[in-house]
Amino acid sequence: MKTLATLVASLVVASGVAAQAPAPPTLITHATVLTVTNGTLTDTDVLLQGGKIAAIGTGLRAPAGATTIDATGQYLMPGIIDPHSHMMSDATNEGSLSVTSMVRIADVLDPTDTHIYDALAGGTTTLNILHGSANTIGGQNAVVKLKYGRTAAEMLFPGAPPGIKFALGENVTRKNSGRVIVVGQPQPQPRYPSSRMGQEEVLRDAFTRAIDYRRSWEDYRARVAKGEKNLVAPRRDLELEPLVEVLEGTRLVHAHSYRADEMLMLLELADEFGFTVQTLQHALEAYKIAPEIARHGAGISTFADMWGYKIEAYDAIPYNVAVTMRAGVLSTINSDDDGRARRLNIDAAKLVRYGGLTDDEALATITINGAKQLGVGDRVGSIEVGKDADVVLWNGHPLSVYSHPLTTFIDGEIFFDVERDKAKRAALEAERAELEAAEPNKVPTPSRGGAGRGATPPADSTWESRR
Amino acid sequence: MHLPVRLAGVALLVAAVATPGAAQHAPVPPSTWAITGARIEPVSGPAIAKGTIVIRDGLIVAVGANVAAPADARLIDGSGMTVYPGLIDAAGSLGFPSGNAGGGGGGGGGGAASRATAPNSNYGPGMQAELRAVDQLDPSATAFTAARGAGVTAALTAPAAGIFRGTSALIALRDAPVGELVIRDGIAQHIGFSRGGGGGFGGGGGYPGSLMGVFAQLRQELLDAQHYRDLQAAYARNPRGMVRPDHDPTLAALQPVIAGTQPVVLFANSEREIIRALDLAAEFGLRPIIAGGTEAWKVADRIKAANAPVLLSIDFPRKSAGGGAAAGRGGRSGADSTPEPLRVLRDRVDQPKGAGRLAAAGVRVAFVSGNDYGELPANLRRAVEGGLDKAAALRAMTLEPATLFGVADRLGTIEAGKIANLTLVTGDLFEAGGKVSQVFIDGERYEIPAAATPAAQAPRRAPASAEDDQAAGTDDHDHPAR
Repeated sequence: MKTLATLVASLVVASGVAAQAPAPPTLITHATVLTVTNGTLTDTDVLLQGGKIAAIGTGLRAPAGATTIDATGQYLMPGIIDPHSHMMSDATNEGSLSVTSMVRIADVLDPTDTHIYDALAGGTTTLNILHGSANTIGGQNAVVKLKYGRTAAEMLFPGAPPGIKFALGENVTRKNSGRVIVVGQPQPQPRYPSSRMGQEEVLRDAFTRAIDYRRSWEDYRARVAKGEKNLVAPRRDLELEPLVEVLEGTRLVHAHSYRADEMLMLLELADEFGFTVQTLQHALEAYKIAPEIARHGAGISTFADMWGYKIEAYDAIPYNVAVTMRAGVLSTINSDDDGRARRLNIDAAKLVRYGGLTDDEALATITINGAKQLGVGDRVGSIEVGKDADVVLWNGHPLSVYSHPLTTFIDGEIFFDVERDKAKRAALEAERAELEAAEPNKVPTPSRGGAGRGATPPADSTWESRR
Repeated sequence: MHLPVRLAGVALLVAAVATPGAAQHAPVPPSTWAITGARIEPVSGPAIAKGTIVIRDGLIVAVGANVAAPADARLIDGSGMTVYPGLIDAAGSLGFPSGNAGGGGGGGGGGAASRATAPNSNYGPGMQAELRAVDQLDPSATAFTAARGAGVTAALTAPAAGIFRGTSALIALRDAPVGELVIRDGIAQHIGFSRGGGGGFGGGGGYPGSLMGVFAQLRQELLDAQHYRDLQAAYARNPRGMVRPDHDPTLAALQPVIAGTQPVVLFANSEREIIRALDLAAEFGLRPIIAGGTEAWKVADRIKAANAPVLLSIDFPRKSAGGGAAAGRGGRSGADSTPEPLRVLRDRVDQPKGAGRLAAAGVRVAFVSGNDYGELPANLRRAVEGGLDKAAALRAMTLEPATLFGVADRLGTIEAGKIANLTLVTGDLFEAGGKVSQVFIDGERYEIPAAATPAAQAPRRAPASAEDDQAAGTDDHDHPAR
């Protein structure tokens, strides 16, 4: 059974998309380099070459064809990693069933979403795009690098392990509220479950079925190996295959939940079935069970200071990350929102105030920790030689509210630059003026029987991102 | 009882309805016609500046500069006219039962989602690939009027909603029983990526309620079809000792699709929709045809590499006369409110250029009217202005769809022996002022009344033009609307 990553890779090849040639080299000089993993280096040069961080040091020589950026007074940090996003998708929830592990975010990515560009302007370079929290077992995620202007396939993070979304608590149980019951008409069927008890049962049942499914394939393979003829493989079940991958440890579980009791339920269930939950998402009550989370081996991905918007989000404290981090839990801050995705540096700064995290610990919650949670910790998340050149140059320290990114690099290529953005504005204005004067964009004159048509796309195309 | 059909100028024909019960009393419409002195664009060869076309019993008998009209032919004076092969609309839903009573006008009597469900299906509504358009067609009396008014004589038709929509048919747009309309059945399996209702968080309907679910369902159903194939093949090889596999009508209907012998029409407009559709086709070894394709020009190379034709919608977006009447963006009356996004402005300018760009990239293109038949002639001109040469544009509405749908040997050009579908235009279809005056479909003539403008609402029975008909002073309807 192919993993999604290899399948997509083979499709990319089949589609004739050539691998992009690496960007020309860039030498950044005299920057304050926030490596996150190896401290802060002042007045230091960083060479980006072949899409990687090629060298870090002083007095580096620019290779042929390189652009040099004098970053005196500026700060270089790793691109921000957002472990919980719903950006750039034409759909977020398949909530019609309790278990929708067969659906994939990768099928509905919208690479033209302009929020991507905004996120780049905020220093974010990688997103974990998740299925929503409508149901207990949701769909498969997509980890992307924000290469705005490329196709969705080119944005998928190469080699990132696949993941899946689980959800517990109120979002899942309140699915049945708001149903309109009309007397005399067939009643809309309530979707099971309506309680947290039911959520546990859904998980238990799904994994039991996954175990049966895995056994049917093992039996088949054993019979083939024995030389039996005229065998037909079992029917492939796209719902159960990702759950088998969870059991085998090849698919990472990101579980939305708030309350300590339901998080414990999940961790114990995972222990029982022999897998590790990769992250608990939101996890506002994680501070109550930090040792248990650490013992299980899960990470958490949470908000710095947003809570109280529903009952299960009530009992939160801004020291959540400080407590979990001190207990040894890999902890990150996420956005779960297009607007917050471009100012995660500020959320990280709040952790310095609440809990006394060091600058590097705070930065880690939006860089290297997220990289590790997404299984790409060897590729991104810190400034180390050999890692992908996903770095951002800031005009000041990123933990300051006065700072903003100047240039955002992904794989050594510039995908956002303040000066280029300003230069483009005049050109865009000119283009607008030209377009508005073009005949198709003029309001039709009344002589044409009043039939000026609106720009309605054909009825079949209903999934355009409407913004 | 027949009225003998004589050379024009003598016979006076009265409108006749050729229903079985009225056969003894109603005169039979003429079955032999000659259009003389017209400019002819046969598509199969160079244009004929002045020539004659003879049709008999629904077929083209002769076409050329020196063809003589036979003695029994009813004559049409083609001076000032251009005759084209009957235009073919490469995708749509004409002829399906509509929720509203048919009332002419743009949109025709079709376009409705077929609500049919297949009996004994293991798959839910919208996922029943075994449905066939030919089984569901039930055109209203005015279902095809608007299409004919634009010169369209045949159309590919399939339901407009659902995921697996069933197999389409190419139909002639006559007012006749369904059996007489079908030019070819089982053209392609149609696949749409919209459930059409519900979806999102707490989706109103069942599964799938989101675009993600649609893809998962498509994938699962195609995998099921492959598994069905393997089970049936194993059983056929050696039934003894193997439990008989179930028969499944949906999966049986998908066998030619996964074998690649029957193409799939995939509805996709934006760049990413087209890429997703082609990826799905590549994943399962399907033979893709893209329908809609408004942004296809952006991924022309990818489409070419997949060897996929495009059924291109030429229903180009126009800026609506928003004025102050409709609640526009921002809702302010008078002055412009929010400026339109650049992408909308670019799209309106780019789409008419799409056909030319696709053609330049070597992609086969057939045109889809997009149901706005009133704008079809203007849209054809826009496609030509946008860079597609006239011959290619004409071909995209005639021989190209005929070829794609496997009927090029009998339709799509003006050649002897082919089906007598013709579109007669006063002037030139591709020049402003060109007007469709009449169409022949299977040799049956339909006159098109002058286009209704608010000022000049022509009475239905007025003759189209004096030159059309050598039977002077007649109130001539060779085929009435019921």
